[in-house]
Amino acid sequence: MVADARSRIAGRARRDPGASSRWALRSTAFLYLGLFVLLPVAVILQRGYGSGLGNLEDALHSFGAWNAIRLTVVLAVVTAIVNGVFGTLLAYVLVRIPFPGREIVSAIVDLPFAIPSLVAGVMLVALYGPTSVVGGWFEDHGLKIIFAVPGILLALLFVTLPLVVRSVQPVLSELDREEEEAAHTLGAHGWTTFRKIVLPALRPAIVAGSLLVFARSLGEFGAIVFVAGNIPNQTLTAPVFITQLLSPGSYGQSGGPDQAAAVAGLLFGLAFIVVLLTEKLISGRLERTT
Amino acid sequence: MRRSRVILTALLAALVAVVTFTGCGGSDTASNASANSGSCTPSDSPVLTLAAYSNPYDAYGKLTSTFGAVWKEAHNGQQLIFQMSFGGSTTQAENIINGFQADVYASSLAPDIGLVEEEGLITHDWQSEQNGSIVQAGAVVFAVRPGNPKNIQNWNDLTQPGLQILTPDPSQSGGAKWNIVAAYGAAMRGEVPGYAKGSAEDAQRLLEGIFKNVTVLDKSANDSLKNFEAGNGDVAITYDYQAATSIAGGQEEEIVAPPSTVFIQTPTVVVDKNAQDHCVEPIAQKFVEYLHTPDAQEVFASVAHTRPVDITEAAKGTESVPPIDDLFTTDDIGGWDALINDTVFGPEGAFTQAFQAAKG
Amino acid sequence: MSEAHAQPLASGGPADRAASRGRGVRALLVGIALLYVLVLIVAPLGGIIFYGLRSGLGAITDTFSQQDVVHAFYLTFVIMLIAVAVTTVLGLAVAFVLARDRFRGKSFLSALVNLPLAVSPVVVGLMAILLFGRGGWFEPFFTAQGIRIVFALPSMILVTIFISIPFVIREIVPLLEELGTEEEQAAWTLGASRLQTFFRITLPNIRWGLFYGMALSAARSIGEVGAVLVVSGLLQGQTETATLYILRAFDQYQPERGYIVALMLAAFSILLLIGIEMFKRRGLKRAGE
Repeated sequence: MVADARSRIAGRARRDPGASSRWALRSTAFLYLGLFVLLPVAVILQRGYGSGLGNLEDALHSFGAWNAIRLTVVLAVVTAIVNGVFGTLLAYVLVRIPFPGREIVSAIVDLPFAIPSLVAGVMLVALYGPTSVVGGWFEDHGLKIIFAVPGILLALLFVTLPLVVRSVQPVLSELDREEEEAAHTLGAHGWTTFRKIVLPALRPAIVAGSLLVFARSLGEFGAIVFVAGNIPNQTLTAPVFITQLLSPGSYGQSGGPDQAAAVAGLLFGLAFIVVLLTEKLISGRLERTT
Repeated sequence: MRRSRVILTALLAALVAVVTFTGCGGSDTASNASANSGSCTPSDSPVLTLAAYSNPYDAYGKLTSTFGAVWKEAHNGQQLIFQMSFGGSTTQAENIINGFQADVYASSLAPDIGLVEEEGLITHDWQSEQNGSIVQAGAVVFAVRPGNPKNIQNWNDLTQPGLQILTPDPSQSGGAKWNIVAAYGAAMRGEVPGYAKGSAEDAQRLLEGIFKNVTVLDKSANDSLKNFEAGNGDVAITYDYQAATSIAGGQEEEIVAPPSTVFIQTPTVVVDKNAQDHCVEPIAQKFVEYLHTPDAQEVFASVAHTRPVDITEAAKGTESVPPIDDLFTTDDIGGWDALINDTVFGPEGAFTQAFQAAKG
Repeated sequence: MSEAHAQPLASGGPADRAASRGRGVRALLVGIALLYVLVLIVAPLGGIIFYGLRSGLGAITDTFSQQDVVHAFYLTFVIMLIAVAVTTVLGLAVAFVLARDRFRGKSFLSALVNLPLAVSPVVVGLMAILLFGRGGWFEPFFTAQGIRIVFALPSMILVTIFISIPFVIREIVPLLEELGTEEEQAAWTLGASRLQTFFRITLPNIRWGLFYGMALSAARSIGEVGAVLVVSGLLQGQTETATLYILRAFDQYQPERGYIVALMLAAFSILLLIGIEMFKRRGLKRAGE
């Protein structure tokens, strides 16, 4: 009885002041994101698509346009998958397996956030380029790393590694071990336990992290512009292509900021939709399980 | 409760304040007379902003400093402040068009100045000025490894299979355009063995052969040469004075001048509208005039290793750069307008077609 | 959290073999993970350290005595402080809305928060130019006021804010969701105002996540190069950040200086991130978690 009365009073006290601060928070959030995210996005979409699809068509007629977009999307997917796997592996190793130097490795994982992308690009060229020990060996054996697609992939993997690790690590460390221990006493060994119990629990985090990797890879410029070679139809990526579009025609195309805006809008529109759809999927699944 | 509403409203106000504050900060960096072209009272310490292409940073560093000292003497101790920005020539042009407040623009090729002129920011007839506003000159050459192991002597040698050539991206670099025009011109003038004089198809074939061997397109001429110096590729097509500066700085490479190549002419002009807005137009004009004086030309020659602006003198070569047999200007092969819009970079142009064939 | 596996008996039987196989597998996993990190991250970092320190301490003091370098660092840190302040304060509001509030379109808001991660830096710069450059949406207004946005400090701050938006929010939202509102509701029933509750209860609880997000935001801000490159105009000694200085150093045949500045930037970010991790562990240990 007393508990009921108390919760009723609490409810009233909650509902009243709640409203004003809730609306204040909402307004702040909407205004902030509206000004700083929606507005810039709007100007790109308006300049790119304000007069219909003409700008996009012209841009796509540019030499190497389609392949640049295709290469970027494909590499983004590959990066998301590779770092999804290795990022999860790293997170698992960091959380579950004590080994000497674990703390240092954990700090190292954050490094790509700390190093400016252009410096990373310069370093990758110095380390794995044709004149280096490693790169030279590979090139002698027919595999070009830098100034070829593998180099671009390397740069993307570098830049996006922390995203998956940092997404999975907290979930993994909070995971309740009961189920795993039960499986263990029932005779299930490592991989089965991992596959049937741990992995499903981690899946939302892995997917979320991989999505971020995908989105980030669509836009990476600084590291790539040094390592890629930027040859249309071969190693030209969409972000570099957009930069080229900004200059008036040099490959016989018309170019200009409106066309650049059109392609840019296409790219981050793609990222946005993918992220949105998958967020809905994940939160939908979460609500169903709780 | 009311307090929290007040405080949260203050939060919103803070957001608005931040947005406005960042706007107010803008008036600090351009500490000049105000932007509106009303009455023109130059400030005590006039600021001149120079936007230049990436190469001549040393030269302009010295030139602005010398000019400032001379000006101070002649004008009662008035201290000039030069703000300088170096980047790709076409990028600088676009920046100026987008609002970068350059008073003087040193481009690496005339069409870039044309871009700015089209927007109405340059109103004087710069092509009729002294030397056609050209302050620096050079020629397109090949940078090769010591001893020239691949024996590159002429443009056709660049088409040999397996060769790796470095040249920048023409959509981002002015230097790249010079390189392409040089090859085109040499072929058209019949100075390249195996390519008929006056044949646009042959010129296109030459460009295709060259670009089949291009594996990296750097975003600037500087980047391209540096990439070569880092050990990548067999030959870099470059400005001779850029390579000469590198060699003077200790880089191990050699300059090979093809028998026929284009005469690089880089103009520097006053951006009339900006200079007027900043009330520094007379100073800017004097500075640009100064660049044509023998003293300034001497600085360009010794620091930047450029050739004399006069083509006959230039063809003889200097201490740093070799003589050229057939040095031709862009006017000799049709003029920049035709080259950009039609014969080379136009939709049916030699380079456009060649590049698509090479990389398609 | 200790390992609660039953220890295998030392009898050499199948349990023992399974245990040693388990250890072998674990070692293999660690090996693969370490190799991946080595190739991808340690090697490039090692390269920067090597090239940065190669010219000796003299080169380092020489670099930092350059006025351009000092101003570049100053500019970088001013921009970073403003960007972190804005994205933290306003990010907290967004985080609360995402974690606690319920309304339609919340997924849309969440996707908006992540959008800056997907936008290429060049495009960010283009956004600023299309908004504030000649012919831009807001250009007439600001020019009439005599305020310069693009090719000046304000646009550099704005693009840095844009690219830093996600970090604090992404760190705090899961924390807030996990914490729940029990403690806060208790405080409210006891008469505390929302604001008091926020400062006395919520903030201490999310403290480490918040600091970590701020550190990520700071690291990202000081490392930004693409967007700032487009909007700064590259005025030496004026609108040149540390990263833009690095670009110029490489361009103007002074790569040692470039590596040294790059090393300083990386060191600052790394120390910041490691420092927060360390304090967090100590704080959690003291709290008895």
